[in-house]
Amino acid sequence: MKKIKFSVLICILIVNISIISFFLISKGYSTIDEISSEIGESPVIDGYIDLPSNEWKKATREEILLGDLPITLRVLQNDENLYISVQFDLLVKYHSLNEFVGLIISNSSSEVKEEFIDAKIIQFSNISKNEFTFFDYYIDNGNFLNDTNLNGEGAAKLEEDTSTYEFSLPIKALIVNEQDAALDFGNTYAFNITYGETPIYQNGVKKSTIILINIKSSTTSEIPFSELTVQIICIVIFSTLGALYCYYIYKIFRLKATIKRIKR
Amino acid sequence: MSKIPKRPEKKEKSREYHRSDEEYAYRSVLISAVLGGILYIISILFNIEIISIFMNINMFWTFIDISLKVIVILLFFLFMITSIGNYKELIGKPLNWKELLLLFLLSIGQTILNPLVFVFTLIGLLIILIYLYVIQEM
Repeated sequence: MKKIKFSVLICILIVNISIISFFLISKGYSTIDEISSEIGESPVIDGYIDLPSNEWKKATREEILLGDLPITLRVLQNDENLYISVQFDLLVKYHSLNEFVGLIISNSSSEVKEEFIDAKIIQFSNISKNEFTFFDYYIDNGNFLNDTNLNGEGAAKLEEDTSTYEFSLPIKALIVNEQDAALDFGNTYAFNITYGETPIYQNGVKKSTIILINIKSSTTSEIPFSELTVQIICIVIFSTLGALYCYYIYKIFRLKATIKRIKR
Repeated sequence: MSKIPKRPEKKEKSREYHRSDEEYAYRSVLISAVLGGILYIISILFNIEIISIFMNINMFWTFIDISLKVIVILLFFLFMITSIGNYKELIGKPLNWKELLLLFLLSIGQTILNPLVFVFTLIGLLIILIYLYVIQEM
């Protein structure tokens, strides 16, 4: 009997360790390559993530590796735009004066080079003074050419050791532009996140990584059914617990009265 | 020879002892329940995400957020099980598996909004249950 109990305990211990290991592994840097955006309030594109005012609060947040540089990626969407922020820590001495971060966007989920037709780049002209320019390029046979119309928005800021790059990309733009990747709701797109130190595209790219971003089909005006169900279940659980707790406290006080009566 | 009978004194002592034991158990029921209630309120604040100050900042604060939520639920379970167990002892009934299951489900139900909190709380609750089972067997 003791042997069986010991075996059961060992089995439970192994299961627990396996579950913990699975979560640690899945949260590691190397496995994340597909991110689903979350619906939330549009952030201010100013190169600053205002955490106290819950900016980017609802965003999907992932730690990924850009080459050997760990970055924090946030992805958020609303009815009109897809918002992406890239944040990383680098000692001031390692920052280049002409540092840039770009999003090279595929027209689909395909990672084939020819599918990457659009590039949004935030280029610092003087990082020490936080001077930057947002560029919108279309890519033709590997050449970066200026878009006729600037689509999207971008801003960046260096604060101490932390660089923050914020992008806003229109989803399902009213005017169809062949020079931009046609982002649409409910689709997945490949994004090549690039980092470079000289304003020469594509040769100036020092680090890059490709990720897939799923743009949700639903909009801010409607709460997804699954989310609504979870919220209702949550309220039911906490209400039940509250009601049972009150009943239990009432029973405790009645018990005190009973004890007093018995004592007398 | 002493004129005072010895037996009634013994009985009185045992009655007093019994009485203080009962009072102690009742106090334990009440204090544990109150602590459980405080933890329930803290759990509402953090697990329904009314307070979300630690969320989405970085890995460290996410870890703090998850740990806080898990610890609050586990402590809630521990205090409530202590309180209910003592209450049952006072009324002379054993704590049955249905009550234990209900408390278990209501504790794990608090984690419904966060899968990571769910997994770690589940592991924690299982460890507590195994610990209580082993202690009881010993």
